[in-house]
Amino acid sequence: MFELFIAMVKEEWRVHSTMFGSLSFALFPFMIFGIAFMGAFLVPLMHTTLPAGNITLIIHANYLMLGIMVGGFGLLGNEVMNRRFGQASLLAYSARSLPLSEKFIFFNFVVKDTVYYFFLWVFPFGLGYILASPFIGVPLSSALLLLLTLALAFLFGLCAVFFLSTIYARSRPLLWAVLAALVIGWGGLAAITHTNPALFFLPLLLNSAFSWGNLVISCAVLVLLFAIAILLFNPESVGSEKIYRDSFAPLLKRFSFLPNPPLAAKDTLDLYRSGSMIGQTIFSFILPLAVIWFFLSLLGPFFPPHGLLFIFAITTGIIASTMYTWVTMFDSFGPYACLPVAVSTLISSKLTTFSILQVIPAVFIAIVAILSGEAVYLVPAVVLGISVSFYAVGVMAWLCGLSPNVLVYDVKVLFVYLILVGIVLTVFTSVAFANPYFALSAVLLAIPTWLLVRKAKIRWDAVDPAGF
Amino acid sequence: MTMVIEARDLSKTYGDVQAVNHVNLMVEKGALFGLLGPNGSGKTTMIKMLTGQTRPTGGTATVLGVDAVLDPVGVRARVGIIPEQETPPSFLTAQEYLEFVAAVRKIPGIEAKADWWFEFLDFADKKHVLCKDLSRGTRQKLMFTQAFIHEPELALIDEPLINFDPIMQDLVKDYLVAYVKKGKTIFISTHILEVAEEICSGFAILHKGSLLHTGPVAELTARGEHLPSYFLSLVRKDRHV
Repeated sequence: MFELFIAMVKEEWRVHSTMFGSLSFALFPFMIFGIAFMGAFLVPLMHTTLPAGNITLIIHANYLMLGIMVGGFGLLGNEVMNRRFGQASLLAYSARSLPLSEKFIFFNFVVKDTVYYFFLWVFPFGLGYILASPFIGVPLSSALLLLLTLALAFLFGLCAVFFLSTIYARSRPLLWAVLAALVIGWGGLAAITHTNPALFFLPLLLNSAFSWGNLVISCAVLVLLFAIAILLFNPESVGSEKIYRDSFAPLLKRFSFLPNPPLAAKDTLDLYRSGSMIGQTIFSFILPLAVIWFFLSLLGPFFPPHGLLFIFAITTGIIASTMYTWVTMFDSFGPYACLPVAVSTLISSKLTTFSILQVIPAVFIAIVAILSGEAVYLVPAVVLGISVSFYAVGVMAWLCGLSPNVLVYDVKVLFVYLILVGIVLTVFTSVAFANPYFALSAVLLAIPTWLLVRKAKIRWDAVDPAGF
Repeated sequence: MTMVIEARDLSKTYGDVQAVNHVNLMVEKGALFGLLGPNGSGKTTMIKMLTGQTRPTGGTATVLGVDAVLDPVGVRARVGIIPEQETPPSFLTAQEYLEFVAAVRKIPGIEAKADWWFEFLDFADKKHVLCKDLSRGTRQKLMFTQAFIHEPELALIDEPLINFDPIMQDLVKDYLVAYVKKGKTIFISTHILEVAEEICSGFAILHKGSLLHTGPVAELTARGEHLPSYFLSLVRKDRHV
């Protein structure tokens, strides 16, 4: 068990460090540490406008989100095999050659992901805050408690996605039933007890009032979710053959108005048949945004009027930009290398498919605007969200080409991404807060977006296509 | 004499590794040319450079009169390629993959052509199966088909027989020989020396990225030598240099 776990951790490290150099990848946790350390000094300033409890709530929401994102990365039935194990021969694929069951390997894989990403993302952030705590007047015990509860929040997100995705792989109706039960149960409990529903989130409860009992309950829930996920895990049997009717030719005709119809048709089939269209929409889009909306809605009084809708539109835009990773994760340039297709053509085609997918966030923002009683600002909110999404994807295409899933862990790439996107977010949040209709000015982002995409094509055509 | 491949002083380095070292190579039209070499000798890198999949660090490569560095897409439009390790896209069926290739290459009448290949390589029963569910051998049949379905003037094929059973190997060898008789050219990279001796008209031996020999197979045969033994003696000698 332990040997396999250690080997998997080494393997994960080598996969990342091989791709963009050991030093560049090793610096990643240090950057996270630096952000947390420096960010901690802003906490006293934030206290003047935002109560401490709300800051705690935001941080826990972020860690829950992080767990959901990490968990959602690669645990959707078929995708487990294809995204994580298909392109390279990894230890997780060794059930065929070693006397180990697939469930056992999957167990190790999940534990490895938990530990690996904990030390990559969570621990450096917690450590940064702990080391900054003496300077900002926070007791060490509070900082340590925060690290514990943030780790739990991260694990709740991770285990919840493992749990839900294995149910999804077994039965979609069952998934909807479980989600409905959770929403009704949670909402009902909040209504009956007249309590803020966020306080039923165990890590937050622990942070506000620590008790050993609650800690044990938190751990028990995590173990339960994790155990059910392992038990329900059902890898597709090797060698099974699925028969499909020809859908490519009809799609090709339907997409004839697009710049690269065959590539768009292929991307569409990839998304549909891999289960990503539905799976990713639920786990990488709707679920994170529902969590964000839930937590943001609690902060409503601290934003300017209508600010919440625009903050949410911008957040939706950023998450929507990750749809580019949905369409680039299925293939490296390899399968196209025997065809007359340039990397720039592929980038164009992936961006075309990405553009079609933007209907989802546009509809989502519109629904939120209507449901929150702010339909009058529907158009500016949608324009802002979609413009931000396109701008962020322009940055991503320029920095990562066809490999955003991989290059995000390159510290240089992530740093430049955060700067370029961060500036725009700050500017347009302020603009939208000043006057909701000023958010329409986000269409101006089309100019840098166009320039970035143009630069991306030139840049990635000039280098040998990456093998990942 | 028309040359379809002209590589001059072609080199490629990956970091400290010299994968291909100042290679000069000419292949004339109508040849079935074998690029031979042990594992890691630079054969795949040569094919990648000739088809614009990777840029050389030195020298020039012209394929069918097109500069492979300046116009890699132009080269790939005119040739057929079987890459060494690539497999067809996971979520298309075999039939759909050929339709995809036809749409990208603008090949008319794909349905009839695809059906001919399904029958010829004996995998018609797999045409509606997703590529990810195909066996290695069937994937190789599909990759072979996509390389020849547009009947290119030149096909550059990397280890095309490696996943085929003996019957299929025989069928494919006959196809290759018949293909060049139609005036087309094939550039085949392999380390199956017996096959190279059997079907190739010309050959080159690459070792540690350097060209050790190039010439017609008939020249060897005339000297009473066999390609496998000649290859082994040359490579062994080079190892000791």
